Amino acid sequence: MTAPIEPPRIRFLPSGSTLHKLSAVITLALLIAVFSFTSPAFLSVNNGLTVLLQTSVIGLLAIGMTMVIITGGIDLSVGSILALSGVITGLTIKAGLPVVPAMGLGVLTGALCGFVNGLVISKMRITPFVATLGMMLIARGLALQLTGAAPISRLGEAFGTLGNGALFRIVEMQPNGFPKVIFPGIPYPAILLLVVAVLGWFLLQKRQIGRHIFSVGSNEEAARLSGVNVDRTKIWAYTASGALAGVAGMVLMSRLVTVQPNEGVMYELDAIAASVIGGASLMGGVGSISGSMIGAFIIGVLRNGLNMAGTSAFVQMIIIGIVVIGAVYIDQIRNKI
Amino acid sequence: MLDAMQTGAPPLVQMDNIYKQFGGIHAVEGVSTDLYPGEVVGVLGHNGAGKSCLMRILSGAMRASSGQIHVNGAPADMKSPHDARAFGIETIYQTLALANHLDAPANLFMGRELRTRFGNLDEKRMLSEATEALRQLNPNFKNLREPVARLSGGQRQVIAIARAIYFQAKILIMDEPTAALGPSETAMVADLTLKLKQEGIGIFLISHDMADVFELCDRVMVMNKGRNVGAFRIEDVNKDDILSLIIKGTLPDDWEPRGNSR
Ligand SMILES: Nc1ncnc2c1ncn2[C@@H]1O[C@H](COP(=O)(O)OP(=O)(O)O)[C@@H](O)[C@H]1O
Ligand SMILES: [Mg+2]
Repeated sequence: MTAPIEPPRIRFLPSGSTLHKLSAVITLALLIAVFSFTSPAFLSVNNGLTVLLQTSVIGLLAIGMTMVIITGGIDLSVGSILALSGVITGLTIKAGLPVVPAMGLGVLTGALCGFVNGLVISKMRITPFVATLGMMLIARGLALQLTGAAPISRLGEAFGTLGNGALFRIVEMQPNGFPKVIFPGIPYPAILLLVVAVLGWFLLQKRQIGRHIFSVGSNEEAARLSGVNVDRTKIWAYTASGALAGVAGMVLMSRLVTVQPNEGVMYELDAIAASVIGGASLMGGVGSISGSMIGAFIIGVLRNGLNMAGTSAFVQMIIIGIVVIGAVYIDQIRNKI
Repeated sequence: MLDAMQTGAPPLVQMDNIYKQFGGIHAVEGVSTDLYPGEVVGVLGHNGAGKSCLMRILSGAMRASSGQIHVNGAPADMKSPHDARAFGIETIYQTLALANHLDAPANLFMGRELRTRFGNLDEKRMLSEATEALRQLNPNFKNLREPVARLSGGQRQVIAIARAIYFQAKILIMDEPTAALGPSETAMVADLTLKLKQEGIGIFLISHDMADVFELCDRVMVMNKGRNVGAFRIEDVNKDDILSLIIKGTLPDDWEPRGNSR
């Protein structure tokens, strides 16, 4: 065969996914600039920490969601799993279990819910949308039933450490007996998010399971015919998503030092939005952890900035809805070129 | 190359009395066939005759309703494509079964990724091995790091063929390998088929192109409505005989073996 010899292509534009990430970063910078202008308190250290904390919950959910979306699926149950995991942790602490194993049990609960999602999707051949919609109701129902819909409080100081503690925090006792924070430190949730994001990136880009997740999402039939264990790959992705919903639940409930069985409603939508804004395609085969992290920050900053500017929660919904549609639209235009 | 047939060594593949039903549809009905090293057996028939089903059963992509498969004389139960690959069975699909978003090395090694000592993906080695495997088939192969969606049909088929060669297929199934290709790319695939045959690989070739069939095949097997309606050495039949089998399911009334080979 005599293929025409192609001239080397001159690359003056970054590749598609880099371009998408670049535009997302610029969007983020623009948002920060606008909000600093409209509300002076926005650019304070304290508010920065608040954004970081809010984003860490969305970010943890978005990491799992990204893996699921890359397989060509969706996980609508993460908000409810987050609540159920918190409830299991709260109840077991009340029953006398120390905080760390109780939290471990909470994450395990999330993983188990995700595992069931994976089984229902791959073995019972129920579409991801329906399977995880079912799990969304089941997990929420369980969380409310187990607690009688009442919050669990007085869980002890140790329970609040993960959500409220920080590394390298410097506190000085003042002569008047009140502590003064000299350096607020790096909040644990932010560190956790960074660690999980790096781990997620590593698994997706450097490990066989990550390659299989992309293969399954890109062409499920081809992956199956090539000997990829498609069912196992999907179960793995949903289990990871469930486990990370559990981790996000620990962070959120610990931050409030209270377990709220009705926390996390509609969080799945924020996580999906973060992934999609970050360049993940709901058709599968495309997505990245770094993009989803930028997406999570865009949503976190948007929520926080709109709050600071006094925008109502209803208007926030409208704006975030428009942002998601806009991001996908821009992505489609980009792919057509 | 048909020595094996005469020496009485067991065939590479022996499929006996294979049935496949989908509800009321009988896709494959009691088909038996065999394949020896270094020969190309054409599997012919109309669309819907059951050719792909029969081949998918051999490649582990589909389970037979009943029937036996022997590979090198030993019973082989193909529960998954993975099992089939363990027997040295590789398949090149009509639909160019590639993951569009991934690059050529990722596709070549899909499901059998090379890994480093620590279990990480060995991208460097996959790239260099893929480069070598692909350049052997097509010295002009470029864009190894592009998603394969951007490659031409011919380049995509080269990836599929390179995959079979790289993993040392003993038995190769080619299900309409040129259906999505242009003329020069089709010629390249034909050349490759002959090369592989010379290396002693047994090939099942599904094709609608009579010129290809007569150029490449040693034997042909014609399927009609799920049944095997005739298996012949290629010398014993001509184009009209085959077309009659494909369309009517029977030979022309005045048929007698045409070749002088026996
Ligand atoms: N997965 C399936 N489910 C139901 N029917 C099928 C399936 N695959 C093939 N068939 C049917 O089996 C018959 C044989 O199909 P196939 O083997 O693809 O034919 P060919 O490859 O010879 O064109 C056709 O009638 C087809 O509709
Ligand atoms: Mg077919």
